[in-house]
Amino acid sequence: MAAPVNIQTPSKTWELSLYELHRSPQEAIMDGTEVAVSPRSLHSELMCPICLDMLKNTMTTKECLHRFCSDCIVTALRSGNKECPTCRKKLVSRRSLRRDSNFDALISKIYPSRDEYEAHQRRVLERLNRLHNKEALSSSIEEGLRQQARYRNHRVKKPAQESDNTTFSGAEDNGDARSHLSHDSAPSHAPLPPGQTPSEAGPSRKRPRASDDGGGVASGPEADSGSPAPPPRRHKERPASEIELVFRPHPELVQAEDYSQTRYVKTTANATVDHLSKYLALRIALEEGRTNAETEDRGREETRGGEETGGGGGEGSSLRNISEKQYTIYIMTRGGQFSTLNGSLTLELVNEKYWKVRKPLELFYAPTKEQQQQPAQKSPPTQTQREG
Amino acid sequence: MASQNMDPAAAAASSTAALKGSESGGSSARSSVSKRLQQELMTLMMSGDKGISAFPESDNLFKWIGTINGAQGTVYEGLRYRLSLEFPAGYPYQAPRVKFITSCFHPNVDEQGFICLDILKDKWSALYDVRSILLSIQSLLGEPNNESPLNTTAAELWDDQEAFKTHLHSTFQN
Repeated sequence: MAAPVNIQTPSKTWELSLYELHRSPQEAIMDGTEVAVSPRSLHSELMCPICLDMLKNTMTTKECLHRFCSDCIVTALRSGNKECPTCRKKLVSRRSLRRDSNFDALISKIYPSRDEYEAHQRRVLERLNRLHNKEALSSSIEEGLRQQARYRNHRVKKPAQESDNTTFSGAEDNGDARSHLSHDSAPSHAPLPPGQTPSEAGPSRKRPRASDDGGGVASGPEADSGSPAPPPRRHKERPASEIELVFRPHPELVQAEDYSQTRYVKTTANATVDHLSKYLALRIALEEGRTNAETEDRGREETRGGEETGGGGGEGSSLRNISEKQYTIYIMTRGGQFSTLNGSLTLELVNEKYWKVRKPLELFYAPTKEQQQQPAQKSPPTQTQREG
Repeated sequence: MASQNMDPAAAAASSTAALKGSESGGSSARSSVSKRLQQELMTLMMSGDKGISAFPESDNLFKWIGTINGAQGTVYEGLRYRLSLEFPAGYPYQAPRVKFITSCFHPNVDEQGFICLDILKDKWSALYDVRSILLSIQSLLGEPNNESPLNTTAAELWDDQEAFKTHLHSTFQN
């Protein structure tokens, strides 16, 4: 079968490379120190470069030893040139590939709960597809949602918060194409300045430029509901520097609920932790509200029409209570501990003080504990306790 | 293994089946394409490459608008180009259709904005993504392939960089 491994160079002389000559030796770790490797850095090693997902039924090319999912490489060979997608070495057929079950075993060792994860992914995607179809069928539901969102947005924002030149945009990793719209640098909807009546800004749907005139804290519920064909907006040069962050549910304090996905947020660096917290509260309330209210809206929309002052119903009243106190923001410190962030810190500061690395800031969120009992609490969110 | 004695007819049949799948785009195939596109969008946003960006045009994840800034030290420095990228249902096994929206005076770009670039044609590999495409086009701007020009005027003018630059900047329309 297999040819014996060649034993032709028995007396190979080894020379130190420049790196080996100049490197300073690393201290051996003798105590119980644990070295953490971020899953993200592992991900690139375990990823199939074709589907960008974790390798599944790994196939390795026999000659150049590049790895792919079985399905991916088979499809690639069928539909394209007969060469390795990574290095263009000739791959005549499937026979130039070999199953790499050791690698599969390694992956399942590292990610034992992979099936669970994939099932979750599938559920989310399915739900999104359903939503998409529904929208395609009836854009009037969309229109209704948007009207509501505008109305909510108007009512929820307090003038006090509107002085900062801060915008939020974000998206979830749950495969919602619509939410990606809001990644654009400017929010597509900003709260109205106090003097302006809703009817002025409303029906024309002109987009106020929040970033230019100091518009205010804006999450993009409108951008989320996605107007059918919004004109693509180009990035503008903006004075405030931007910061990107990865926003995850607190692994210990949040169970796998509907809203607890990882969120990717891009915002101005002068936004504070409180801003972020409030944005999060609004997003979650809107997401929950939308799924609950979607069926109701269909009926309600007809009766309400363009009327902006109608009763908000249960959903609206829950949105009125949106506050930065609802969620507490944590950051993981070097020891793997979660520490609470003070609400008045700007994200820029958090980045400098706690993060320092040149990659997107990673934060964690969890519902604040005593929120339910004391909504009008005065103390900053940092005072809240978390279960140990 | 079964594959060892694969009958050529069966192989052909299965490959046409694959082709059909990529054309009609079964819902599962389509969702795996959107999944990959979303992954790309995520990495593109996180990487923060200088001089290139791309974003889905609207709700449709299969059509993106990209921008490329002319690289420093080239005649294209200071100019910004918009491109459209359309992804077939067979992506990433098939290359996206990429063309300039902003008209581009370049030896390898024609008047309609079509680009002559091997990796978008026969040299396509499933490993290329939006990021690598835009970076490739960005470097193509500064290093045209004058052997097979689509725009012969541009190809002839290329050797005289001063004149090329003057012409380029005077005709540039955003």
